[in-house]
Amino acid sequence: MTGATIQAKNGVNGAVSAVLKSLKDSGCVDAVLVPTRVKSGETFVYLLIRNPKMLDSCAPLPPVMPVQGARALQSLTRHGKVEQTVLCVMRPCEVRASIELAKRRQVDLENVLFMSLDCPGALRTRDYVNDPEALDKRYQGILNNWEGDGLRPTCETCVHFSCEDVPVDLHVGLVGTKEEEAVIIGVSKRGEELLDKAGIECSEDVSAWQVEVEKARDKKAGNRSKVVSELKDKAAGMDNLGLLFADCINCHNCMRVCPICYCRQCFFDSSDQVRLRAEDYFAKAQARGGIRFPGDMMQFHLGRIYHMGLSCVGCGACEDGCPMDVPVSQVFAFAGDEVQKTFDYVPGRSTDEPIPTLTYEEDELHEYEDA
Amino acid sequence: MKEPTIVGFLCNWCSYEGADRAGDARLEYPANIRTVRVMCSGRVEPEFVLHAFREGASGVLILGCHPGDCHYKMGNYKARRRISLLKKTLEQLGIEPERVRLDWVAAGEGERFAKVANEMADTIKGLGPLELS
Ligand code: SF4
Ligand code: SF4
Ligand code: FES
Repeated sequence: MTGATIQAKNGVNGAVSAVLKSLKDSGCVDAVLVPTRVKSGETFVYLLIRNPKMLDSCAPLPPVMPVQGARALQSLTRHGKVEQTVLCVMRPCEVRASIELAKRRQVDLENVLFMSLDCPGALRTRDYVNDPEALDKRYQGILNNWEGDGLRPTCETCVHFSCEDVPVDLHVGLVGTKEEEAVIIGVSKRGEELLDKAGIECSEDVSAWQVEVEKARDKKAGNRSKVVSELKDKAAGMDNLGLLFADCINCHNCMRVCPICYCRQCFFDSSDQVRLRAEDYFAKAQARGGIRFPGDMMQFHLGRIYHMGLSCVGCGACEDGCPMDVPVSQVFAFAGDEVQKTFDYVPGRSTDEPIPTLTYEEDELHEYEDA
Repeated sequence: MKEPTIVGFLCNWCSYEGADRAGDARLEYPANIRTVRVMCSGRVEPEFVLHAFREGASGVLILGCHPGDCHYKMGNYKARRRISLLKKTLEQLGIEPERVRLDWVAAGEGERFAKVANEMADTIKGLGPLELS
């Protein structure tokens, strides 16, 4: 792999926005979909930018992820493919979620290019809006040392923070690069062409960066197995699950902010319409001593874990959006890792890998049938 | 104590007939199995299973045509993928995967139906009631 060093004296965001400008100027990119700080300063939104001047103030790697980028791309391509070339600048988990949505025909990838960056994680949105200045500083520290407090718990255990197994066209390497420097890499053929047309010559060897990525990944993988084994004691069994979700207020925010949950009418919203008659509830309460109302909390979470476990990219949007600090994304990681392994499926790795529930082999999975 | 309830989703073309055959032959099978006729095992979305649990079932039986015999060719293969995913998910979450049983019963297999139903009833009796929600 080869790349080009870019100067980041004004921070990563400044360096990347300069690259974006030259890509835009070269004419191979018609628009850029990129996070940008809102005027009041305390949060970030996705902007679809056509005016190159506006790229000056974009923030390719914001400290928070209030909206999962796949959702932004989904609303852009809701009616099908875009006619002009769009470069989407996103965290790796946002790219992977976009791929999962594309497999479900909720995103159209034609004329869409992806650029991702090595991601140290995202800070909790609620913390950030309370004190943007302090958290900007903290995030700078995290970028320099590749660790620090206040990240989404799931980010601490994310092994897909770079571009391996993420189908991007361009990638910006940050781990272990010299301070005030980053590397840009054309990952796909299209990506290489883009950089070439923009006059960015990619001839430097980037193996030093790759070694650092490996090291960082080993560390995160260690964190992940630790968290998963801790959850084994905390999450397994109906009683434990009940405790874990005890604070849930049934707001269904976790579902609404999840990039992969796309159904316009959720089964678990409508399922509460299928209620029993009161006398049946009395009978049930009689048998158990008492029952919880409304009764769909556990069904909702189990259903979502069943629906999303295979495709969960571990972005942590659900947990970030939960007003009650229920560790939703950690439970998803705990369940998802196992089912992904069973089907040998890595969500968001490639559009060529079908979603396991939409395909089958005639001779397989006999351990799950009782015949 | 009341026996824990089992919901059985039976494919119209094979297993439902198989259950009928068991009835005709006066084979005994447990009364706590409530059968629901579906057009194909592939029609059984795992959401149905969770819904049955929520409404008080302690076990769910999904019976379809033997692999290769599905009236719609691939319904039972797809069912096997989905139910495997559900069982794996339940297992990881510490909910006994044996509460969900996927099996194949052909139209003429009355005895096999009775055997599967009895085994399932024993399994669920052993596990006790499931208290979802
Ligand atoms: S379930 Fe949570 S962590 Fe997984 S993709 Fe959805 S929002 Fe992200
Ligand atoms: S966001 Fe939190 S409180 Fe709301 S439904 Fe999800 S887990 Fe429950
Ligand atoms: S028709 Fe019986 S399983 Fe499909």
